[in-house]
Amino acid sequence: MNLTQRFQRVLQRNLTLEDALPTRMPVYVDSLAYLFGAGSLMALVELVASGVVLAAFGPSWYHHRPVGRFVNSLHFWGVQVFFAALVLHMAAKFFMAAWRDGRWPTWAVGMLAFFVALFTGLTGYLAQTNFDSQWIAVQSKDAINAVGGGSIFNPMNLGQVLTLHVVVLPLVIVGLVGVHLFLIRRDGPVRPLPDTKAAEAGR
Amino acid sequence: MSARSERTLRGIPTKPYDLLLEGILVLALVMALVLVLAALFGSPDSPTVRARDVARLQPLAFVRTTARMLAGSSALSGYGPPYTHDPANAQRLLGVAPANWFGVTEPVAPARDLVLAPLERAAVLDPSLAAPLAAFRGATVAQQRAWARAYLGAVGKAEVSGARVVVPPGAYGPVPALMNGMLRLGRSGLLTGALEAGQRHPYALDLSRALLFFQGSVDHAVARSLNMTGNRWGISHETGPYPGAWWLWPYTFLYQVPPMASSPNGDLQVVLIVLVALVLLPLFLPFVPVLNRIPRWIPIYRWIWRSWYDRQR
Repeated sequence: MNLTQRFQRVLQRNLTLEDALPTRMPVYVDSLAYLFGAGSLMALVELVASGVVLAAFGPSWYHHRPVGRFVNSLHFWGVQVFFAALVLHMAAKFFMAAWRDGRWPTWAVGMLAFFVALFTGLTGYLAQTNFDSQWIAVQSKDAINAVGGGSIFNPMNLGQVLTLHVVVLPLVIVGLVGVHLFLIRRDGPVRPLPDTKAAEAGR
Repeated sequence: MSARSERTLRGIPTKPYDLLLEGILVLALVMALVLVLAALFGSPDSPTVRARDVARLQPLAFVRTTARMLAGSSALSGYGPPYTHDPANAQRLLGVAPANWFGVTEPVAPARDLVLAPLERAAVLDPSLAAPLAAFRGATVAQQRAWARAYLGAVGKAEVSGARVVVPPGAYGPVPALMNGMLRLGRSGLLTGALEAGQRHPYALDLSRALLFFQGSVDHAVARSLNMTGNRWGISHETGPYPGAWWLWPYTFLYQVPPMASSPNGDLQVVLIVLVALVLLPLFLPFVPVLNRIPRWIPIYRWIWRSWYDRQR
């Protein structure tokens, strides 16, 4: 069996087209709580789109031109919506105990994506090139230096901050979100917890 | 459907679903929300603190900051790794100082790199600086620091005369001339360039020295005026009436709690607590007894799956 055939087998076992792009869902998938994950994903799409425009035109444009300032505001509010949706998504998955039935890898990869998103948020603040950036750079350096991180990451080095924020970290996030989505669609939505109330009533 | 999905969903009734339509609708909703928020509220963009502005508007704060570098009393003096060779000052917990494992990777000698080197560059254009510089360099470090300390003590009684800071007569050596030289350099707008000219790589992408210069009382005064210091329960604000990085509040809050609030090792303590309580614990929460039972005790799941439970009854 060649490599392509093996890969086909893996997909057949784990992720068919119907799994990746489902046209049917279990009936218990019937709540607004399921939309928070989609909300954070779509906010990420908005962030990448507005971020690409900001990166293309550069700091002088987004500080001093009205259109640039507006696109900067789209990026800023995109971050707020992204984290709001993400926190609601994580809370919903916690209260659903969504890690059950072998879904811990999905939970863990989602958590890792969240942690990388936090660091991306920090580098975003540092990359603004305004007083926020100055203040956060000199304040955050102490925590980073205390654990020895200063030898790897210097928040006052705009070259490093900008490339991390614009290239490296978005790629890592998109990669982790890709794995997260693959695991979600491979395993399907977790079954509801047993209804303890009904069990008590039937007793 | 894959064999795995067949197994997972065996016996569960399904309903029609349109993934792409849902995605498009959620994207439209998110875009609409972001557009409205951006149009209504804009975004924060407080101007950078520039050496030129500080030198012109706050000359006493400028010379005080500069003199502290010469006196060895700036926050950077004796900081430890990665800036200075003072391993004893690295933050430590139970005798362990992680900063020392990596050593001095971004060396900065405050007096030399942030004051004397820029003044030497300025002396090419301003020959009156050559003599005071030579006098300062010719003195012992103890003498240099004594002059700078005496000058710092007199700045409170100083007067600003045009572009000069005039201190009452005293034993300051060449320090007043050097401070006024720095003030002229600052007012000219060339200080940042003179600071960055000393870095290892000449393409100015690393702003460390220019940012470290004002990291102390000057930046704190600006941050205080913008309500950014986060001393109310660690809730740090954006410049202006914006929410800021509220997702970091659990982290910034820890800086308000003893012993971290006053400990010289506060940063290390906070980072370790964050690492354990806010990174490792959530990551492995499904395996943590008690915590992994909480969802069963708080019946939010009954609201989320209410139609399923109704169907079962």
